[in-house]
Amino acid sequence: MEINKIESKEQLDQLAKEFRYIITDIMCRAGGGHIGGSLSLVEIIISLYFRILNLKPDNPRWEDRDRFILSKGHAGPTLYTALAYKGFFEKDVLLTLNANGTKLPSHVDQVITPGVDQSAGSLGQGLSCANGIALANRLQKRTNNVFCIVGDGESQEGQIWEAAMFAAHHKLDNLVVITDYNKMQIDAEVENIVSLEPLVDKWRAFGWEVFEMNGHDWDEIYDTVNQAIAVKDKPSMIVAHTVKAKGNECYENRIECHFISIPDEDERKRVIGGVCADGDGEPFHFNWTEGKDE
Amino acid sequence: MKLHEKELRAVYTDTIIELMTENSNVVCLEADLGKSSGTVPRVREAFPERFFDVGVAEANMMSISAGLANEGMVPFCATFTPFATRRAYDQITISIAYAENPVKIVGTAPGVTTAKNGATHMCFQDLAIMRAMPNMRVYCPADVYELRSMLRYMAASKKPEYMQLIREVQSPIFDESYEFDPYQARVVAEGSDVTLVTTGLTTQLALEAVKSLKQENIHAEHIHYPSVKPFDVETLLDSVKKTNAVVTAENQNVIGGLGGAVCEVLAENYPAKVKRLGVQDRFGEVGDVPYLTETLGFSAAEIARACREMKKAK
Repeated sequence: MEINKIESKEQLDQLAKEFRYIITDIMCRAGGGHIGGSLSLVEIIISLYFRILNLKPDNPRWEDRDRFILSKGHAGPTLYTALAYKGFFEKDVLLTLNANGTKLPSHVDQVITPGVDQSAGSLGQGLSCANGIALANRLQKRTNNVFCIVGDGESQEGQIWEAAMFAAHHKLDNLVVITDYNKMQIDAEVENIVSLEPLVDKWRAFGWEVFEMNGHDWDEIYDTVNQAIAVKDKPSMIVAHTVKAKGNECYENRIECHFISIPDEDERKRVIGGVCADGDGEPFHFNWTEGKDE
Repeated sequence: MKLHEKELRAVYTDTIIELMTENSNVVCLEADLGKSSGTVPRVREAFPERFFDVGVAEANMMSISAGLANEGMVPFCATFTPFATRRAYDQITISIAYAENPVKIVGTAPGVTTAKNGATHMCFQDLAIMRAMPNMRVYCPADVYELRSMLRYMAASKKPEYMQLIREVQSPIFDESYEFDPYQARVVAEGSDVTLVTTGLTTQLALEAVKSLKQENIHAEHIHYPSVKPFDVETLLDSVKKTNAVVTAENQNVIGGLGGAVCEVLAENYPAKVKRLGVQDRFGEVGDVPYLTETLGFSAAEIARACREMKKAK
């Protein structure tokens, strides 16, 4: 089933709940995964795919589509879930995450996954690729936009700042970049590894129009991204304040959430339990296609 | 002026301008070495909207080129060989080769031809490391006719490709009728005493070696490989079945490049004795090309000597 635009907050909340369950579930089935940086992006990716991006799921390489580059390629499971709900492939394909021969690898791959615009995984490269894509789209006189998400840890890569200078120099105003600023990286808090601060000032000094938003608030995301789209003669950076592993109470905002291993059934149950509790304590389960639900 | 009287970088620039004129998807990128590649000022002035100098930022250039290629553009991006390969190796691997984005990478001033720039700029490993990358093709043209045809091939191929570009004038080996085919090595001289395998600069050096050997009644079969990958296996095997003796010469470390490719093919198909000439696993130094080829052991005289010894040992 293909879902196009969603406006009601109830529907968006429901979708976010399903996404968090699915992302956790498919990682658990795969024996582990990058849960922290996937769950921190749920509201942002849902907002892009169901409120903002202009796409044709039956024609993934449609020339006039908006482009999306997930430079922090390890958040693939969140993008895959959006692509499945959007209709690029069946939802049950999500169950093959990281399985032998899968089309859904841990880090995004443009060659094998319908709807993935740019392969990424080796951090720091996707923003430069997005520059090239935005430049090409401008040369081709397209009216689309190019969106890119970078990680906060990823922003320690020098190439991010090479790309920052290039995009501003070339006034790539068809480019909107979001930093998933969940304040944590693998080894510790970003602040305690190599600080990015003052991050907003840095991007501004590099010649970008800079916004900040709560990366879990539907209205703020929608309004800020639309303001960024409207910017002329500059690329836009949105520093999104997010919570790593948001919505899974086993891992939310904990350093060990970057990559989790699920060694056995007990741990799987525990981690799935982390997303099952609703706000009011009601248990939640996503039903895979009939007969496949556990 | 005949084409072969021109510097190769001038022919690179001429051909890029032709391609950009014919195809509005062709774009040219530089990383502050456009004057060295030849594209500054001519390409910059002819096509300001499709010429991008990214500044001293080779990693960025490779990933930007990947994005351009992803959108159907045909990016030719050039810089000195060390910066076009080892400096941006992961960007080339992931943004370009793994993602199958058909970028055309041009490494200028290969090996000893960077001469007075010295060891830091003298890359002896680009053939080996680029050859080891899946989806990547690796070319070394030996004269202007081959260069021009190769660039036209690359603009149409839809594959990630790496090409070495010697900047200076080189002797003509081929002519106007030459058509590059990566699956076809070129027999430059026929012979039955020893098979001499070269590419790029060493194809030029071997011309003199083959001539002097002929005077001693030693007939080397000289094969030029414009493409080190893909590698034309048949032409090599046909020759070695005749000669049973092989000398390779390259403007590179002897580990992993052309000599490596030849040894891999022969070991699996037709074991024969091989002498690999090239840089013997050391870094370069400042000097001119004759000094460096002699010091490093792959001058015309060294090539002739190796062929002579190989024949004697048969």
